[in-house]
Amino acid sequence: MLVGAESERPHEDATADFLQRMGKLPSGEKILSCIQCGMCSGSCPLGYAMDYTPRRMISALRAGRIEDLYRSDAIWLCVSCFNCTFRCPVGVQITDRLIAGLRVDLLSRGVGVPSELATAFERTARYGNPFGESPKKRDAWTKDAGVDIRVVRDGDSAEVLWWVGCFGSYNKRNQKDSVALARILTALDVDFGILGSDERCSGDLPCSSQGEEGLFYELHQKNMQEFAKRKFKTVLVGDPHAYNAFNKEYPRLGTPLPVRHHTQFLADRAPELRRQMRKEIRMKVTYHDACCLGRRNGEYEAPRIVLETIPGMKLLEMPRNRENALCCGGGGGANWLDSFIWQRTRVPLPMQRVQEAAKTGAEILAVSCPLEIPRFEDAVKSAGLEGRLKVLDVSHMVADGMGLLGGT
Amino acid sequence: MKIAVILRQVPDVVQELVIAADGRSLAKDELTYITNEGDEHALEEALILKSRHAATVTAVSVGGDEARDALATAVAKGADEALLVSIPLERRGDNHGLAAYLAPAITSGGYDLVLTGVWAADQLDAGLAGLLAVQLSFPYVGGLTAVAVEPAGNRATVHKEFPGGRLGVMEVSLPAVLGIQSAEQPLRYASVSKISQAKRTMQVKEFRGSLPNVEGVHVSRLTKPEASAKADMLQGDASRVAETLVRILRERGLV
Repeated sequence: MLVGAESERPHEDATADFLQRMGKLPSGEKILSCIQCGMCSGSCPLGYAMDYTPRRMISALRAGRIEDLYRSDAIWLCVSCFNCTFRCPVGVQITDRLIAGLRVDLLSRGVGVPSELATAFERTARYGNPFGESPKKRDAWTKDAGVDIRVVRDGDSAEVLWWVGCFGSYNKRNQKDSVALARILTALDVDFGILGSDERCSGDLPCSSQGEEGLFYELHQKNMQEFAKRKFKTVLVGDPHAYNAFNKEYPRLGTPLPVRHHTQFLADRAPELRRQMRKEIRMKVTYHDACCLGRRNGEYEAPRIVLETIPGMKLLEMPRNRENALCCGGGGGANWLDSFIWQRTRVPLPMQRVQEAAKTGAEILAVSCPLEIPRFEDAVKSAGLEGRLKVLDVSHMVADGMGLLGGT
Repeated sequence: MKIAVILRQVPDVVQELVIAADGRSLAKDELTYITNEGDEHALEEALILKSRHAATVTAVSVGGDEARDALATAVAKGADEALLVSIPLERRGDNHGLAAYLAPAITSGGYDLVLTGVWAADQLDAGLAGLLAVQLSFPYVGGLTAVAVEPAGNRATVHKEFPGGRLGVMEVSLPAVLGIQSAEQPLRYASVSKISQAKRTMQVKEFRGSLPNVEGVHVSRLTKPEASAKADMLQGDASRVAETLVRILRERGLV
């Protein structure tokens, strides 16, 4: 028995060490306040596939059994939808502290990290984007934009510094939405520019909530150096994950940024948008609340305000909307865990979501996060909804209403 | 058991390759480097062997300054020693020359196993592993997907892949040079903070030999690949496309 007792000791130490590290992070100590109510496990869209749900994870930590958690697949099933964090009655930061902290430990051991995710990390470290594309080609999309997009260089200034993000810069489908936003900004006479090939991944996706802290700090440092070389009043982002990084994580590291998501930026200018609308879009539209913009950052209204500037458009709500919205399954790096999650669940979240959207009778599923475009478009095809449901970014729809999409 | 893994730094083709003004080399200013993919698998296989036996793994990084980063990654993944072998880019693709240059560095280490990728992205002549084995008078076997060392440490059983889905299981006496095609497990991940820590703390030994007067291949000229004939897209309805397809297959004698 003595041998057994000795072998338990390191586990308890590892658990104590983990909890101590958590305690040093903002709101990390709240893990200790857990009342084991199970709200987190019940609201988790993939909780049914987890051997350790968030509640059980905390229970295992209390028993000094962190090693059991290291052996569990559940840590890699989290899609960062923030349902658990949002619902927790005592404010335990389950996604950003508990799950991210466990991932930090697994990443530092290096074994058992799903290989698609490891590849995304390695590419992000090497090229500044998870796709493994050349950093020099980051602004190649601007050539076909049809409007002038200025690259703000070292020492230059712009009223609005537009952070295009990895998806908006490299993904062919998202590039169309980048062009749409560029044309809207031009039509609104906004003094804007981009960082061009000096921009790197913001770090929020796939790094911070995925637990790749070192990579996040490296990207934060590099990006802050680039911000410091330029003068601007607002940072404009299209990716809610970049919004979260600049809105919450960068300030935590002592570098606050005046950031607006494009739906907020456009909502601020709703009267002007209305004046510039040229075309009626007589379509039924339902809006999907991005987890990272909604539950994680509390922005539900801006995208709806922007959509309502489009003449003729009818906005329908899905039963699960705003803080109850179902996740697209791609947050917090889960975009690179699709096959890992599929093997363990067999029910893709984006497929469930497009079916919910179609049931409202909507012809368009409007989104405000670039990941949702490829994820939902694939799901529309798999669900047999092709030709019945289109997936469009809010900015793309606004540009259409303003008659700015010619030649795209 | 002592294992050496050779990690060659090769041009990263994610960045566009530019031919230098001399018309027979790559423009160095435009280049970034990456560890040869097969060599990454060789490192993984070495670390798997280390987990099964009492072994030390020496990462031997071949390249310019960038080779230090590859050493840090190898140490972060579990390599015990780091050896830097500096050699200019223009001498790296010639494996006859590279093998002759590496041989004394490997000999002095007294390794039981030397692992490297069976193929490198920038190689101009035959594989490095075989040529290195000649230099060292060690046996060589390449195209491997698994390595098991016997407890006595004087023999290894290896799996070699042959075309047509055939697998060869063979024995090789040690010391030997092995050309790894792919490791038994997916490559392990080294987190950025572990790599930074390795950069700060690792002890790098450096090997500086004189470049041997050996040339396997002489490069006369480099050119970009020329675009060949374009693909024809078959248009029309399915039966028309099928007819055309059958005609083409018959005309070319393919069916």
